[in-house]
Amino acid sequence: MRQKIGDYLIKIVLFVLGCSFLFPLVWMLNLSFKSKSEVYNNPFGLPQEWVFSNYGEALKTFDFFKYLNNSFIYTLGTALITIFLGSMLAYCVSRMQWRFADHVILYLTMGLIIPVQVVVIPLYMMIDTFGLKGSRMSLILPYASFALASCVLMLNAFFRGLPKELEEAASIDGCNVYQCFFQIILPIVKPALATQFVLIFMSTWNEFFLAFILAGKESLRPLPVGLLSFFTSIGVSHWGLIGAAMIMCSIPTVIVYCFGNKQIENSLTAGAVLK
Amino acid sequence: MEKHYRSKLSIFIFAFPGLLLFTVFTVYPILPQILISFQKHDGFNNLGWVGFDNYIKVLNSTSFWRANGNTLIIVLISLLIALPLSLLLALVIDVQTPKIRNFFKFASVFPAVLSVTVISQMWVAMYEPQWGLINSFLRSVGLESWAHQWLTDKNTVVICIAIAFLWQYIGLNALLFYTGIKSIPKHYYEAAMIDGANFFEASFMITIPLLRDIIKYVLVLSVLGSMSLFAHIRVMTAGGPGDLSRSVIYQMYYTAFSTSEFGVGSAIAVLFIIECLFVTVLINKFTTKERIEF
Repeated sequence: MRQKIGDYLIKIVLFVLGCSFLFPLVWMLNLSFKSKSEVYNNPFGLPQEWVFSNYGEALKTFDFFKYLNNSFIYTLGTALITIFLGSMLAYCVSRMQWRFADHVILYLTMGLIIPVQVVVIPLYMMIDTFGLKGSRMSLILPYASFALASCVLMLNAFFRGLPKELEEAASIDGCNVYQCFFQIILPIVKPALATQFVLIFMSTWNEFFLAFILAGKESLRPLPVGLLSFFTSIGVSHWGLIGAAMIMCSIPTVIVYCFGNKQIENSLTAGAVLK
Repeated sequence: MEKHYRSKLSIFIFAFPGLLLFTVFTVYPILPQILISFQKHDGFNNLGWVGFDNYIKVLNSTSFWRANGNTLIIVLISLLIALPLSLLLALVIDVQTPKIRNFFKFASVFPAVLSVTVISQMWVAMYEPQWGLINSFLRSVGLESWAHQWLTDKNTVVICIAIAFLWQYIGLNALLFYTGIKSIPKHYYEAAMIDGANFFEASFMITIPLLRDIIKYVLVLSVLGSMSLFAHIRVMTAGGPGDLSRSVIYQMYYTAFSTSEFGVGSAIAVLFIIECLFVTVLINKFTTKERIEF
């Protein structure tokens, strides 16, 4: 009997905790429909008067679609470059007969230890030197470089698990190494590539530090940084507008998460299982 | 077949582009970082070599040591409160029905997929002194005297930021632990249950020891993550009031990009690299044992 009560108690605690993770966003949604003064008088109840114009007004100063577009370009560009170069490098170290393969793996593990924050000062200067300032490549290339190490290490483990006969059969049929890689091997490891895509997408979409420092120009900012400059520009008085901007920024992620949360959960944990 | 897989040209084509990208933007920058830390530098030009002056300046500044203290507080809260809580959640959801487990997994990872700007600003609203959730709650249960300006009080500001940051990732860490728990063969528990072990005994005697690979992985990730905290501080307080809520990385950013002392900022970055290496070695020293195979 006591065991039963304990079980129910744990279930209730879990349920309440789960709701508390969702609550703040619901609260923000609620705030986003309130007028400036109602936030102060009635922060928790449903709006007495629904102010939908908060969204329209926020859009006047908050260029949501420009930032959204930037975020898409950064994320997609990073994911494509990382997966393309990363899968080739991983294939090379795992399947080709190269003396330095093990050294390369060791070299790449350095990428897991170096936090991106510690090299931001030289990166900031290098972007100037390379003439990348003002171009979207100034963020995509560092992002791709920092995502590469874990991508190669994970795909390396996948490639090693494939049977050697695949390439042997392909070469009897007259495939060279390039055809074999692009037409036979890559389609087989599609699930691993999809996992990598989700991982890179999640981390790049929400990246703040590099974007904040390297994307100097207003027109190049991705969503997280654009949202911050919106907050700074309107101050902390009109929470209806702040809530509206926050909800707009969260909608794309929320939609993706609701439909793909199984895939996202699996991708996020893929790294831990391999290590 | 053999000739292709040995050919220097194809190896070069496969390996070079990736290695070049990695080398140029991840490994190489450490070299100029170290060089700049010995220069007087305004972000564009080297204004002369100054030896260890930048380091002496950093080590003598109170802001730097305060930033280290704040970072230490955040790491300690993460180690002593957030990680044990994540582990406990993982252990508890493992024995729930799939329905409750899936709801909890869905909800708890939710904050981690939202942008840090949104999460941080949400917590600014929670801590808002007049109508924020926390003060409203305290007033409604009669603890009027506890309600105060959370983010401008020097005693609470760092802890408040740490709570926002750790709250965002508790669910994700719990999910990582849970994945590890799932991979432990069930018959270990069956054997323990036959011997009369209860939930807590089974957790401490079987699950936690067998989880040590994952625990180490999460430990390294979250300690390094807590050490390089930046975005939450930038959004919630911008390091304020004054310099009271800066982390080491924030101090580096502020020194280099707000006061244009890039040499001094680089010195902070180099000291931070040393701290990171030290911590990684320390964690490895305490946790290294042979890998677990089931």
